[in-house]
Amino acid sequence: MALIEVRNLVKKFDGHTVLNGVNLELLQGELKVVMGPSGCGKSTLLRCLNRLVEPTSGTISFRGTNITSPNTDVLALRQSIGFVFQQFALYRHLTVGDNVTLALRKLKKMSRAEANEKASFELSRLDMIAHQHKYPEQLSGGQKQRVAIARALAMDPAVMVFDEPTSALDPVMVREVAELFNRLNRDNITMMCVTHDLLFARQISEKVIFLEQGVVKAEDTIEHLATNHPDTKVREFFGREGHVS
Amino acid sequence: MNFLDILEQLAQGLGHTLLVTLTCSATALLVGLAMVGLRQLGTQRIGWVLDVLTYVFRGIPVLVLLFMVYFGLPSIGLKVNPLAAMALSLGLIAAAYLSEVFRGALQAVSASEILAARASGMSRLQIFRYIEAPQMLRFAVPGMINEFTSILKYSPFAYTVGIPEMTKQAMNLTATTLRGIEVYLAVGVLYFGIYWLLIRGVLRIEKHFRVPGIGDA
Repeated sequence: MALIEVRNLVKKFDGHTVLNGVNLELLQGELKVVMGPSGCGKSTLLRCLNRLVEPTSGTISFRGTNITSPNTDVLALRQSIGFVFQQFALYRHLTVGDNVTLALRKLKKMSRAEANEKASFELSRLDMIAHQHKYPEQLSGGQKQRVAIARALAMDPAVMVFDEPTSALDPVMVREVAELFNRLNRDNITMMCVTHDLLFARQISEKVIFLEQGVVKAEDTIEHLATNHPDTKVREFFGREGHVS
Repeated sequence: MNFLDILEQLAQGLGHTLLVTLTCSATALLVGLAMVGLRQLGTQRIGWVLDVLTYVFRGIPVLVLLFMVYFGLPSIGLKVNPLAAMALSLGLIAAAYLSEVFRGALQAVSASEILAARASGMSRLQIFRYIEAPQMLRFAVPGMINEFTSILKYSPFAYTVGIPEMTKQAMNLTATTLRGIEVYLAVGVLYFGIYWLLIRGVLRIEKHFRVPGIGDA
């Protein structure tokens, strides 16, 4: 059984259809990459998964339970889905350590000592333990990204979702994040990542989902989509860097 | 009677001036925080009620509201002591202004941080308590200093309801010594001293809670 199963998901904003019947599955331990042009509904799709955005229709099953029903405990659901945002969204007034421990203390009701221990583990895993007393302002973009990931991982979520994780990073940092994704994937962490960075996508996953005008147009390897897909738009999108090795 | 003697005499009212200022500042801070909290967490209807209250309290002169509370309420059977009357007039007017300072400061809290807190599973109250309010208070420091300074400068109204604060002492002293210039110069010096201490105190607190990236500019 899939960890997350999306069926006929539709989202309209003021009559404008952003998602128009999306279907996809995410298996335990899988790393799924969703790509597509700007405005195709990638971020909206992610936000529907934890009900930051309310779907207009369709169903999302999480561990076999339909989480679009009105009696879903949305706050509990959100604790099970680790979310990492494009601009990292670290809490500016808290140190790196407190950014990671806040939700553990206030939502998981851990003691300060327990939360610190958990935070130390996650920050060490991401090579950020030396920065635990710094504030977000004192970190580079790549370091902020790592803290945002550690903060989400510390909650032991069932799945991690990433919304354009590399858009604010330089190419060197993008490579670092790709290595990190591969490491997390080897640790059997289930992930879904939305990106329009083709190089990054290629570094972390063989297969990608192509979303356009609110529907899943294709799911295949980047190479195949770039050369053999019958739709010209798909070939253009994935072949936009020219040579595909 | 030399200048130091005048200062010594006026110092008898200093305690009352400080008491009025601190009481009204504490009232303003607590009510202002409650107003901004209710505005963030409450319904739209509560927001409208708060808008009306803010509008009314900002539009009424302190002295008029003070007289309404101190001399008006007893006519409907509610007797209010002078310090409470100051808190319910000057304190509430300052609270209305402070709530607007806080509202402006809240705009500086990053929407992405609030979204991240929502995504982590925090409730609206938790987001306000742990993310918005701590940043809002830091952003609001300059506005709070202005408001506390205004409270200090309006505190002489307390003499109209019988609180023997510094200005009242100065009036008595002037009547008996006929040395108005020295007396009121001494009053000015003392008010400036209180103002200086107030600023130092607030800045010290602000420095203690200062974090890189907030309020640096």
